[in-house]
Amino acid sequence: MEASGIRITQHPILDFPERRKVKFYWEGKELEGYEGEPIAAALHAAGIKVLHKSLKQGRPRGFFCAIGNCSSCLVVVDGVPNVRACTEKLRAGMRIEMQEGVGPVPVSKE
Amino acid sequence: MKTRADAVVIGGGVVGAAIAYNLAKLGLKDTVVCEKHTFASGSTGRCGAGVREQWGAEGNIRMCKAAIDIFETLQEELEYDYDIEFVQKGYLMLAYTEKEWEQFKANLKVQHRLGVNAVALTPEEAREIVPSLNIEGLYGATYNPRDGHANPFHTTRAYLKAFERLGGEVYCFTEVTGIEQSNGKIQKVRTTRGDISTPVVVNAAGPWAAPVAAMVGIDLPVYTERHQILVTEPVGRLFDPMLMSFSRGFYSQQTPHGSIIMGIGDPDEPKGYDIGHSWQFLKRMCDIMCSVVPALMGVRVVRQWSGLYTISPDAHPILGTVSGIDGYYQAVGFSGHGFMLAPIVGKVIAEMILDRPLSIDISGLDLGRFERGDLRVEPSVV
Repeated sequence: MEASGIRITQHPILDFPERRKVKFYWEGKELEGYEGEPIAAALHAAGIKVLHKSLKQGRPRGFFCAIGNCSSCLVVVDGVPNVRACTEKLRAGMRIEMQEGVGPVPVSKE
Repeated sequence: MKTRADAVVIGGGVVGAAIAYNLAKLGLKDTVVCEKHTFASGSTGRCGAGVREQWGAEGNIRMCKAAIDIFETLQEELEYDYDIEFVQKGYLMLAYTEKEWEQFKANLKVQHRLGVNAVALTPEEAREIVPSLNIEGLYGATYNPRDGHANPFHTTRAYLKAFERLGGEVYCFTEVTGIEQSNGKIQKVRTTRGDISTPVVVNAAGPWAAPVAAMVGIDLPVYTERHQILVTEPVGRLFDPMLMSFSRGFYSQQTPHGSIIMGIGDPDEPKGYDIGHSWQFLKRMCDIMCSVVPALMGVRVVRQWSGLYTISPDAHPILGTVSGIDGYYQAVGFSGHGFMLAPIVGKVIAEMILDRPLSIDISGLDLGRFERGDLRVEPSVV
């Protein structure tokens, strides 16, 4: 079921309560994750580790500090750039894109 | 550290750095810079770093025009390894009141007479230059593509590195504690790291210009005032030119790497050396800029800070010699636009010290103008 099989299902201290499975989209492709888990967790479980391209050289960037500090895992969610994949919770139907360098801010047209 | 020098420049901000470099370039061998903290740590590194010809007063226009001439080739001239990030994408000056719009049109007349190619724009034309601009309440705008901005840290560092290559020495964490003179001649500069004998001292101490001037008995008519500023996370390009309005008091630029810097004046700001920052600024700044560029809503602020303007009675710098003190020079009181003037001021102060022909006439900007009652007037200051 899990592409990379890296989800921890048993742990001596932590519990993993039953959570709702939801669909979301990565670069237009439909995937499944658990509602409320970090976006990065859902993407990693699906084998997706490159989340962002660096500002100057366009080098691959991904999960790094895991606490919302480092700007390594920034993604575009529903058109909004600079969303931290490590701390943002997954919701059903989210459309998530890899952020290439600085994310474009949507400018509304009158 | 040297115990003798041909000249001591007090202040490692962009003005002191530019003066020191030009002195060394013109051949003054033993020049040193004394900086009480690190370079660009006073006002320079805290500033909005804009460079514009769109002023209202003739003197400011002439000086900034000459400064931009230098900025355009500064990277090459200083042979800097990094990038001073000088970009010329213009200033878009926004008029939100009829009075401001009339002032801009009057400024344009002076600017055109002096060869500045700024243009008047309708709100719709302004939006063609900045598609993210909200033109509600806008009377009109002026735009000069030759204006721009640069990185203040890199610019200062570029000057100091070039200065050091020419044989100059920069002493950081070296605070000047006194200046000795006898018979009306400068003799020695005392610092926290030892004394330096010198016939020439240059006061480029930015916010601390008045205490330094007091060391030679000059009562400088300047005061310091906190100006707050913030920076956002980097985002895709929202606007190219510096956006500025005097009636609303703000300026904002998007740096080459995408973060947006913005500042706003506070008419109730007390005089003093406070460089703290406030949530009231944060709220006011964000409210105004989100109305000017609505796409900024939701863009995160990553940091806020403040710096000091050193304000002179006529918002023009005080430059040059002071009668009765041989060997004392000053470049102070820039009133919030020292960064953009530094290249030309650095050049002309060095020329003055070495008795060379001056690149630009600054005779009306001496300290004596306040006694003579010959004040400049600048209508367009944020």
